[in-house]
Amino acid sequence: MASTAADSTAQAAPTAPPSLILPPSQFARLQPHAYLLAHLSPPASSQQPSLRANGRSPSQFRITSANTGSLTHTNGSAVVRLGDTTAVCGIKAEILHTEDIPSWSVSHSSSSLASNKRRKLTSPAENLGADREDGSEETDDDDDSYIEDFSLLVPNLSLSTGCAPGFIPGAPPSALAQSLSHQILSLLRSTRIVRSKDLQIWYQRPNLGREELEVHNEDEQMDVDVEQDRSGGATPEPREIKAFWVLYIDIMIISLAGNPFDAAWLSVLAALRDTKLPRAWWDVDNEIVVCSDLVSEARKLSLRGLPVASSFGVFEADAAAGWRAVLIPDAEEERKIADSERKGIRRRWILADPDGYEEGLSLERVCLVVDRDQGGSGEVVIVKLEKNGGFAVDRKELKQLVEISAQRWEDINQILGQC
Amino acid sequence: MTDRRRINGPPGGTRPPIFASSLESTSDIVAERPQRQRQPNELRKIFLKTGLIPSASGSSYLEFEPSTSLSAARSKPKSVIPPSSSLKLACTVHGPKPLPRSATFSPNLVLTTHVKYAPFAGRRRKGHVRDASERDLGVHLETALRGAIVAERWPKSGLDITITILEAEDDRWWGDAPDSHDAAWGMMNVLAGCITAASAAISDARIDCLDLVAGGVAAVVADETAGRETTSQLMLDTDPADHRSILSACVVAYMPARDEITELWLKGDNSKSSVGTDNRGLGHEALIDGAVDAARGAHSVLAEAVRESAQRFAGLPSGDFT
Repeated sequence: MASTAADSTAQAAPTAPPSLILPPSQFARLQPHAYLLAHLSPPASSQQPSLRANGRSPSQFRITSANTGSLTHTNGSAVVRLGDTTAVCGIKAEILHTEDIPSWSVSHSSSSLASNKRRKLTSPAENLGADREDGSEETDDDDDSYIEDFSLLVPNLSLSTGCAPGFIPGAPPSALAQSLSHQILSLLRSTRIVRSKDLQIWYQRPNLGREELEVHNEDEQMDVDVEQDRSGGATPEPREIKAFWVLYIDIMIISLAGNPFDAAWLSVLAALRDTKLPRAWWDVDNEIVVCSDLVSEARKLSLRGLPVASSFGVFEADAAAGWRAVLIPDAEEERKIADSERKGIRRRWILADPDGYEEGLSLERVCLVVDRDQGGSGEVVIVKLEKNGGFAVDRKELKQLVEISAQRWEDINQILGQC
Repeated sequence: MTDRRRINGPPGGTRPPIFASSLESTSDIVAERPQRQRQPNELRKIFLKTGLIPSASGSSYLEFEPSTSLSAARSKPKSVIPPSSSLKLACTVHGPKPLPRSATFSPNLVLTTHVKYAPFAGRRRKGHVRDASERDLGVHLETALRGAIVAERWPKSGLDITITILEAEDDRWWGDAPDSHDAAWGMMNVLAGCITAASAAISDARIDCLDLVAGGVAAVVADETAGRETTSQLMLDTDPADHRSILSACVVAYMPARDEITELWLKGDNSKSSVGTDNRGLGHEALIDGAVDAARGAHSVLAEAVRESAQRFAGLPSGDFT
C-alpha cells in the first residue's frame, strides 16, 4: 500500500532535484504523525480506504501464530509471534514443601478446615449433606487463596534480551518489564486461571496395618473415605497437604515491535495449556516429595476459561494533542465534534494491536481482557478493562472494542486449538 | 536480600522435583542411556536463520538438530525426563551506535557481548542475574569476534551483541551423578553455537568482517562399549549426554578463508588417553584439528545463512542466485 504522502512527492519527482525526494521510510521517520495521518485519512478523491501505515485496517490485528511444547527442559512452553513481536514463555515447576512455609503449621495443618474442604471438593456426593450450604455452586474456589498466599505462580518477563535497542542487556529489569510482569501476575490472580487443586500434593496417612500412599486418585480416595466411615473414622485427619507445585513462568520477549502485553499474555496462556505436571507423592521414608517420571501419569492443568487480551491505541488527528492541556469537551465542543464527523472528518482512530511505530504516536491505551462463558451460553465476559492516557474512548467506543475483542477471542481460540 | 524488581517465588525457596527413577539405581534406566548414533566425524545439522528480529540491526536464530534419542522421546513420550537436549539460541546485534557521552574516546569499535541463559534453559532453573559461567561465555565470545571484526572502520562507536539461550546443552547425561570435578562440557557446545550465531548476526547487521567466524567442538571421549575395554576416541561435535566420560574437549572460533583461529578453549586432561594407548592421534593438536574440522562444517551453514541475509537486503527473493 503506497502512502498518499509519498505519492505526492513521487509525482513531483521528475522536476525536483533528487536530493529532495524522500522515500516513504524516511518520511515516516521524520514526520511520523503526518505519515500515519496521511494513511488513515486519504483524500476523498483517491478512493483509497483508510488504512494504517502497516496496511492493516484500524480494527485489524497482526498475524498471530503460536507453537507449544518445543522447549525440552520445561513443563510447558510456547512461542507466540504477533507480527514482529515474539514472546517465548517457559514454565518450570518446582516443589514447595509445606515445612518450608513459615506460617503453614500455624494456619493450616492443625486446622481440620482445609481437609474438610478438600474432602468436600473431591467427593461431590458428600455435598448432598444438608449442613453444607456454601460448596454447592462454586465448588472449586475455596482453596484458591493458596496461590496468592504462598505465591505459587511466579511470572517474570524479561526485556533485556536485545529485543529492542533501548533495553540494555544485563541491566536490572526496566520499568516496562516490571510493570508487565506485575500486570501478568495480577491477571493470573484475578482470572484464577490456574486451579489451586492442581498444584497441591497430598499425603494420605496410612491406616494401621495398611500401607497406602496415595495422592490425587479420587476414586480411591472415596473408597478410603467409605472404609473409614465403616471403621468409625479411626484417624480424624487422614489427608494433609505436604507440598505445592510452584510454577515459574518466565517470558522472554525475543523481539519487540509493539504491544508486548498481548504477546506475553498469549504466550503464558498457551504455555499453561501445554503444561504437564508429573504425578507426585510424599515419600515417608525419605521425607521428600517424589515424582513419577512416566508421561502417562503426568496430567495437564485444568484451566479456568481462556481470557484473551487485546490492546488498542488511540491515534489523534491533532498532532498537538500530546502536549496540550487535556480538557473535558463542553457542550459546544461536543457539537463541533459531531458536526465535523458528519462531514466525514475524523479526529481520532482507535487502532487495534498497535505496532511499535503506532505505540509511539498514541497517548491513550485501552487493554481489554475478555473471555467467553464456557457454561454454554457463550456470553462475553469482560475480565479486565484498563484504559489510560485520555478520555477519547467513551462508552460507545468501548462497546465496539468489546465486540472486536470478542471476535479476537474467537481467532485466538482457534489458533490455540491448533497448536 | 530479595530482588524487589522481579516477582519472587515463595520466600522459603522451592526444590526441583526429584524423580523416583533417580532414587532407585535400577538397571533399566541405564539401558535408556542415549548413544551417539552419528559417525565420529559426523556433525549435527544446524538450523541458522537471520533477520528474525526486525527491531535489531542484525539478528540470527540457531538451533541444533535434536539427537535421535531426543526426537524419539518427542514423538513417543514415555518419560517426562528428556534424555538430552538441543541448543536453541537467539542473537541480536545493535549498532554500530554512538558511544555514550561519558565514555572515553575509542578509535575502534567497542564490542560488548552478553550471553544469558533463559531461566528455563537447563535442567536446573537459572537465576535472572548473570552468573559466573554466563559472564565467562560473554568474554570468550568477545575474544572470538574481536579478531574478525574490522574495528577501525567505526571509531567512537559501540556494538552490542546479546545472546539469549533458550535451551542449553546438558553437561552430562542426567542419570549420572553430578561429579564435582567433572567440567561443564555443555558450555563448550553453547559457546560454539554462540560464535556461529553471532557471526551470522554481525554480517546481517552489515558490519565489515575479515571472514565469517564459525565455532566448532571436538572432544576425546572414553566410551565403554559392551565387553571391550575402554578406548579413547576423537569425536566431533559431541553431545555430552551421549558419552559416559569426556576426557578433554576443545572449542575453536575459526576463520576458514584466512585459516586463523581467533579463540581457542581447551579443557580437560588427555594425557591419560595418549600415554596409555600409545596413540599419537589423540594429543592436543589432533583435538584442535578436530575442532577446526567441526568449525569448517558450521561455516558452510553460516555462509548459506549469510547469503540469504544478503539476498534479503538486496531485495531479491530468497533462493534467487545472481
